[in-house]
Amino acid sequence: MLRFALTRILMAVPTLLIVAVSVFALIRLIPGDPAALMLGDLADPANLAELRRKLGLDQSLAAQFGIWFGHMLTGDLGTSITSGQPVAGLVLAKFWISARVVLAAVLLASLVAVPAGMIAAWRQNSLTDLALVGTATLLLSIPTFWLGLLMLLLFGLKLGWLPVIGYVGFAEDAGRALLYMIMPVATLFLHEIGVLLRMARASTLEVARLDYITHARAKGLRESTVLWRHAFKNAFGPTWTLIGIVLGNLLGGIAVVETVFTIPGLGRLLVDSIFARDYPVIQGCMLFVAAVYVLVNLIVDLCYPVFDPRVTAE
Amino acid sequence: MTRRGLASAALLMGAFTAGAPALASSLRVQLNADIRSTSPGVNRDDNTDAVVLHVVEGLVAYGDNAEVKPLLAESVAVSDDGRTYTFKLRKGVKFHNGAELGSADVLWSWQHYMNPKTEWRCLAEHDGRGRAKVEAVDAPDADTVVFRLDRPSALFLANLARTDCGMTGILHQDSVKPDGSWDKPVGTGPFRFTEWKRGEYIRLSRHEAYASRDGGPDGYAGSKRPLVDELRFIVVPDSSAAKAGLLRGDLDVVPNIPNADVRELEKEPKVQLSISTNMGTVGVLLQTRDPLLANVKLRQAIAAAIDTEQLVAAVTEGLGKRNNSIVPLTSRYYGAVEAQGYEHDPATARRLLAEVGYKGEPLVLFTNKRYPASFEAAVIVQAMLAAAGINVRLEVLEWATQLDRYNAGNYQMMAFLYSPRLDPALSFDAIMGPKDKQPRKVWDDPEAQALLDRAMVVSDPAERQRLFDELHRRFIAAVPMLMFYNGIDPGAVSRRVKGYRSSIFSKPLLWEVGLAD
Repeated sequence: MLRFALTRILMAVPTLLIVAVSVFALIRLIPGDPAALMLGDLADPANLAELRRKLGLDQSLAAQFGIWFGHMLTGDLGTSITSGQPVAGLVLAKFWISARVVLAAVLLASLVAVPAGMIAAWRQNSLTDLALVGTATLLLSIPTFWLGLLMLLLFGLKLGWLPVIGYVGFAEDAGRALLYMIMPVATLFLHEIGVLLRMARASTLEVARLDYITHARAKGLRESTVLWRHAFKNAFGPTWTLIGIVLGNLLGGIAVVETVFTIPGLGRLLVDSIFARDYPVIQGCMLFVAAVYVLVNLIVDLCYPVFDPRVTAE
Repeated sequence: MTRRGLASAALLMGAFTAGAPALASSLRVQLNADIRSTSPGVNRDDNTDAVVLHVVEGLVAYGDNAEVKPLLAESVAVSDDGRTYTFKLRKGVKFHNGAELGSADVLWSWQHYMNPKTEWRCLAEHDGRGRAKVEAVDAPDADTVVFRLDRPSALFLANLARTDCGMTGILHQDSVKPDGSWDKPVGTGPFRFTEWKRGEYIRLSRHEAYASRDGGPDGYAGSKRPLVDELRFIVVPDSSAAKAGLLRGDLDVVPNIPNADVRELEKEPKVQLSISTNMGTVGVLLQTRDPLLANVKLRQAIAAAIDTEQLVAAVTEGLGKRNNSIVPLTSRYYGAVEAQGYEHDPATARRLLAEVGYKGEPLVLFTNKRYPASFEAAVIVQAMLAAAGINVRLEVLEWATQLDRYNAGNYQMMAFLYSPRLDPALSFDAIMGPKDKQPRKVWDDPEAQALLDRAMVVSDPAERQRLFDELHRRFIAAVPMLMFYNGIDPGAVSRRVKGYRSSIFSKPLLWEVGLAD
C-alpha cells in the first residue's frame, strides 16, 4: 500500500511540472498586461514602465520563468501582483473556504444519490425509476448560476429565510456560518445529485445482470439483502471514482457559485486573478488545484480495495 | 415536512438572522471588488480610493461642481507669479489617534509621498517629470505650510486634490510601522480605519472628534459629519446578488446599479434612487493613423451618421444627457460652445462618403462586455453606421486585451470609457498627445496641444474658458473620437438611509448620511 502511494505521488511530479510550465506559458500567451490593468486609462508611459520594472515584467520570459520556478521549488509561490500578499498563504486560506462548501455538498449528494441511483436501477422502468432519472436529468441540466439565483430569489427575497450576501467564517460564529452555507451547498448538492445518481444507477444495472446476483436470489435471499450486501459493493466502485473526479473538479472550479453567493473562495480568487492578469496567483492556484486533483484521486484509488476486494493497491 | 415543521424551520432561521451583529447605525455599502491597499494613492483603484477617502483628507478637495476648495486648509493664497502656495491650516483638527493636526504633519506626509519607496502614483506630477516641480516645502509656523514651484501651474491644487492621488491625504506618522513600512491610515477623515477582511469587507468606525467644516455637504469638501457608527463596505462582485441584498435588507447602499435595473427599482417601495452624471466619458475612439480613418472627411461622415440623442437615450435608458464635448456636462467650463456637437445628418454623411470614395471597405470596432454601456453603445453605432452605408464589424474583446490594444494604438475604432477627470484640462490631456511617443493618445494635433499646454498653466477662469471653447471647436471638426455622454451613476439605497446622494466622482460619499430609526 505504502509503495503504491509513493509511486503514485512520484508519478504526480511530472504532471505538476507539465501544469507549471503550461500555465506559465498559456497565461502569457493571452494578451493583457497586469501593470496596464492596475493603472487603467490613467496610465502614463513613465508610470507604466516603472510598475513593469517593479513587478519584474520587463525581464525576459525565460528569466521570469526561472525566477518563479526556482522559488516554487523552495515552496515559495511568489507574491500577488495586486494585493501584495504571499500566494501560498492566500491560496490555502481561500481553499479552506471553498473546501467546506464542496465537501459538504459532495458528501450530501453522495449520501442521497447513491442509494437513489441503486433503487432506480433495482426498480428499472418503474414509475420510481422514471421519477428519479427524470429529476436527476432535470437537476443536471440546470446551470448552477441560475439555480443559485433562483434560490436567492426564493429563500432570500420572497421567503426571507436566508441571508443573500456576505460570508461568515465558522471561527467567527458557527451558527451564522452554517446559515450562510445553506444556499451554496444546496446549489452544488442539487447539481451533483444528478451526476452521481445516473452513474450509481448505470453501474447497479450492470451488476444486477451478473450471475452471482441471480445466484443470490436463487438462494432465496431478500431483495434488500441482495441489493445492499451483494450488489452495492461492486456497483459502488465506478461511482466512487466519479465522486473523486467531481470533488477534484469542484475544488478548483466553483467560481460561479462563489460569485453568486459572494463566497471569497479559491474559484473566485482564480477568476479575479485571471481578469487582473495576476500571474503569480494564477500560477499558484492552478498548481494547487492540480495537486489537490492528484491527491483526491490518489485517496480514491487507495480506498478502492475497501469496496472491491478484487482490486488491490499492489 | 409538516406545516408546523416548516414554521419551526422558519423561526430557527429567523433566530439566526436576528442574531446577526447588525448595528443600528451600521451602514452597509456594496463594493464590486475588494480594495487593493489602505495606503492613499498607492496600489489603488476606484474602490480603494472610495474607501480610503473616508479616512484621510487633503489640504484641498474637490467640491460638488469639481472646483478645488480648501479642506484641511483654512485658506490658500497664491503668489502673483503663481509659484508660491501658502496654506493656512484649520485649527482644532484631530487625527484618529487624538493628535492635533499641525504643519509638521503636512511636511511629514509630503516627505512620505515624495519618497520613491512609497510608490505614490502622483509622484511624477511633482518631482519634475510633470508640468511643475515642487522645489521646496516649508513650515514657517505650526499652522502654515508653503509650497514653492519651479513654474506656475493651473493644475497644482487640482493634482493635490485628485482622488486617484489619495487627495494627497495628510497622515499621522503612526500610519507607518517603526521600520517605515505601511501599517494603516491614521488620518483626519470622518471615519477611522478599523478592520479589513480581505475579499469580504472593510469596516470603518465613526471619528468621534471629527472637525467638520460648515456649510453643508459639498463633494469631498464642505461639511462631512459622520452620522453612523460604522461603515461596512461589503465585497459583492455580482450585480444581481447586490440587488437581491438591497431588497432583502442585507445592504443599505448599492452605489452603481446597472441602468437596466433603474425602472424596476423605481417601483420598489423599500428602495430609493439617486442618479448623477459623473465626469467620465463614453465614446468611440477613431484611429487617425489608420489608412482609411486618416481621412478627416470619413471621420466626419461617421459623426454625421450617428444620432447621438437616440444612442444616449437607448444606452442609458433615458437617464443620460447627450454631450459631444470632452468638457464634462457638470464642469463649470461647459457652456454654449460645448453644447454645439455633431449634427446628425444622413445626407451630409452620404455626401462625405462619396467625396472620399468610400466603397464599403470594412472597419473593425472593438468593444468589451466588462462595461455594458460601452458594449451597447458599440452595437448601436454599428447599426447607425450600417444604415448610412458604412460597413462596421463588431469585435468583442476581453477588457485586458482591449486595454493592451488601446495602449498600443492598435485599432481602427474602439468603444471606450475614460474614468472621471475633474478638470477639463485633464480630460483633454487623457486623449491628446503625440502618438509617436504615446500610441494610446487619440488626438495628435500640435496646435491644439499648444492650447492645452496653455490651459494647464493659466489660472484665470475666463482665459481657460476661451481655451476650452477653442479646443472643443477643433475637437468637433477633427473627430478623433466620437464623444457621446458622461457616465451615469444610478445609486440605489434603502428607504431607511437618509441624505445619500450619488456624486460626480463615481464613488459613494457616506458622510452626512444617516439611518432612520
